[in-house]
Amino acid sequence: MTAGWLLAGASAALVTAGALAWRWARASVAATLAACGAAAAAALWTLTGAGTWDWQPGLALGGQPIHLQLDPMSAFFLALLATVGGAGSWFARGYWSDRERGSSAARGRLWWAAFLLSVGWLLLTRNGLHFLLGWELLAITAYFLITLDRRDPEARAAGWLYLAASHTATLSLFLFFAALASRTGTWELGPVRDPAVAPLFWLALIGFGIKGAVWPGHVWLPSAHASAPSHVSALLSGVAIKIGMYGLFRFSEWLPLPAQAGWVVLGLGLASGVLGVAFALAQHDLKRLLAYHSVENIGIILIGLGFAILARQYGQPAWGNLVLAGGLLHVWNHGLFKSLLFLGAGSVHHATGTRIMSQLGGLWRSMPWTASFFALGAMAIAGLPPLNGFVSEILIYVGLFDAFASGHPAYAAVGSAVLLGLTGALALACFSKVVGVVFLGAPRTAAAAHAHEAGPEQRTAMAVLAGLCVIIGLLPAGAWPLVAMVAAQWQGQPVQNTPLLLTYLGSLHLALGCAGVAAAALLMARLRRVGVRRAPTWDCGYAAPQATMQYTAGSYAATMTGWFRWILRPQRHGEPVHGIFAQPTRVTEHTGETVMQLAVEPLARAVLLLGDLARRMQHGRVQAYVLYILVGVAFIAALALHGGAP
Amino acid sequence: MTDTLNLLIGIAAGLNLLALASSRLPSMIRAAALQGLVLGVLPLLLEDDWSVLLVAMAAGTALAKGFVIPSLLRRAMHAASIDREVEPLIGFVPSLLLGALATILAMLLSRSLPLLPEHSRTLLLPGALATAICGALLIMARTKAISQVCGYLVLENGAYLFGLLLLRSTPLLVEAGILLDLTVGIFVIGIVVDRIQREFDSLDTRNLTELHE
Repeated sequence: MTAGWLLAGASAALVTAGALAWRWARASVAATLAACGAAAAAALWTLTGAGTWDWQPGLALGGQPIHLQLDPMSAFFLALLATVGGAGSWFARGYWSDRERGSSAARGRLWWAAFLLSVGWLLLTRNGLHFLLGWELLAITAYFLITLDRRDPEARAAGWLYLAASHTATLSLFLFFAALASRTGTWELGPVRDPAVAPLFWLALIGFGIKGAVWPGHVWLPSAHASAPSHVSALLSGVAIKIGMYGLFRFSEWLPLPAQAGWVVLGLGLASGVLGVAFALAQHDLKRLLAYHSVENIGIILIGLGFAILARQYGQPAWGNLVLAGGLLHVWNHGLFKSLLFLGAGSVHHATGTRIMSQLGGLWRSMPWTASFFALGAMAIAGLPPLNGFVSEILIYVGLFDAFASGHPAYAAVGSAVLLGLTGALALACFSKVVGVVFLGAPRTAAAAHAHEAGPEQRTAMAVLAGLCVIIGLLPAGAWPLVAMVAAQWQGQPVQNTPLLLTYLGSLHLALGCAGVAAAALLMARLRRVGVRRAPTWDCGYAAPQATMQYTAGSYAATMTGWFRWILRPQRHGEPVHGIFAQPTRVTEHTGETVMQLAVEPLARAVLLLGDLARRMQHGRVQAYVLYILVGVAFIAALALHGGAP
Repeated sequence: MTDTLNLLIGIAAGLNLLALASSRLPSMIRAAALQGLVLGVLPLLLEDDWSVLLVAMAAGTALAKGFVIPSLLRRAMHAASIDREVEPLIGFVPSLLLGALATILAMLLSRSLPLLPEHSRTLLLPGALATAICGALLIMARTKAISQVCGYLVLENGAYLFGLLLLRSTPLLVEAGILLDLTVGIFVIGIVVDRIQREFDSLDTRNLTELHE
């Protein structure tokens, strides 16, 4: 019951936050934070074993009885929503302030509260129609958040693309829920045992996959994440695409699945993982790069889910629980470190006015806090110990090794482990590029040279997220019971106690962390004693190095992007240098969105062409309209005469 | 009884063709009016015991279809001072042939439909189909608004014939409703005709394409 009061309080606070958004900025943010706190408390309450909260007030909405339920699965995602939602709204106070952004900041607070409310509703409702309602509200509020800066044509285009992709997903989900309701005879959602609904999973996979930015349904994501304000990018990446994951986890729990479901989910996960990071490597825009890493991490989550489904098929709960828990924990982890990274990128953009990495450089000196938080997030996302990314990935790895040992989908497990390893290695390379190019070295432009540290609100928001990354990294055994509760719900049976692995890993991480801090302290002390001396780097005998001679983002990653030329299809403009005394030249390389160019745009052109053809039928000649009617009636008559007979 | 009925329906079908073949507007209006008059009598033939309502309906139908609407059309014609369909979209002979073809097809089609035994020997259904299709043809083939109104009249006569199939199960009040619809429709078209005339100095509906966005 406590959870119910907390959630009621959270909704009331969000409504207040929306109402106060225009006049009382401070009170509005405070209300949002309070709502997030209450929701997080309710979620943790449930996850620590307080039981499921179920509420059926006997009221109807749209002809369907309202039924809300906070079970561990919902609570798991609600906790993430509350964390990222709270951190983002606090960050926005410094980053998207009323002073700089005017009414856009107020609109941002309003839509932010509306977004949190609709996602919360979506997570709790147990009615298909209400789910769709929340889903649509999520799409619309996210659209308004992406286009907060209405004057930016890029943001408007990105919002439009997002809206179109989102509605493609909605269409698929409409079919899914309608077919499900017609089969089960009710819009109420819950476990279904009828094997005839299994094929509906494909519809759910399309709908949730597009929303969850699973490759190749990710086409909307790079531009939306890049062009939106950074706290919105954090919310989109940390929460909105996780709602797609929520759908997949939820309906793979509730519905019987087709036999190939596990394999398909696994395949999509592997494709998302490897291709997501490959595209990320080729990006020049910091936020676009982060966006592609969302695709990669969604891939990792899906690898976990795919193997969990396979484990259920093969009757192997032992390693199935490990991969499932790894996938679930990665939902949290990615939500935390990706939001952190987006907030960091937003601070960089705010300080320098650019997102192009090759125009930055040397920011560690001017914005040490942001740089440290960003580097921590980068370590986490690259899966380095002792941070949280490593915890969830090692759960998946160990699960895969156990799967190999158990001998069921042995080769798939090995192959997946190899591809997962490749993904991790490329992610590490990619983030060494980002941190190196953006924060280390010398500033490449005046904008980068005059950067200023982020404000206190921005830093606190980043510190909270970074702290959570560290906590999960250092206390993995503490996170296990929460995740295990969700895994047990998914499996329908209790899950083993904290694996020894995590206990060891925790001690190891703690030791590593302490060693790291000690080493840093030692270095710091030494640095203080010896002092800093600035000198040019080793320069091959060339005595006048400039900042522009540093590795650029493109040149750093050139070798690795070369491996993926077949899918990246980079376009090079300009002539490379020739001869010994070469003339000055200019070479730029641009990597487009391959799926967009090869699949979505031709399809869209075909649809537009058909639309144009159809429009020609509307010419204003009454005579022809009557002919259309006559032909239509004749067609229906023919259908009734010949096709209608049973 | 059935013979008289079939004869009248046959006359109505013949009037379809007359309307399709005539290039002069007055003769086309006359054909439509005559058809309405003929059809107005039909309920009296179908029902054995004549109630007051039935007689009133039949008389009302005949009056409206045979006299009131045609006279409105004639007035519109005079107001617009045209009496010829000069450039039809489908020529008069081809439309006549199409109309004949439609009549034959309607006959063939109605054989394959599952009808009540008391209807299977009458020409009600094929007549209704043929009249409706000829009405649609008239609308499609002509460009002047008044000819098109005649087309709508003929189309409505077809629908009315269909309605007679259901005379037992459909109260005459429904018929009255249809007739009222039609009258309103004609009024609206009358106003539209007036506006087209004022705007374009012609009743050629092809000019309406200038209005689309």
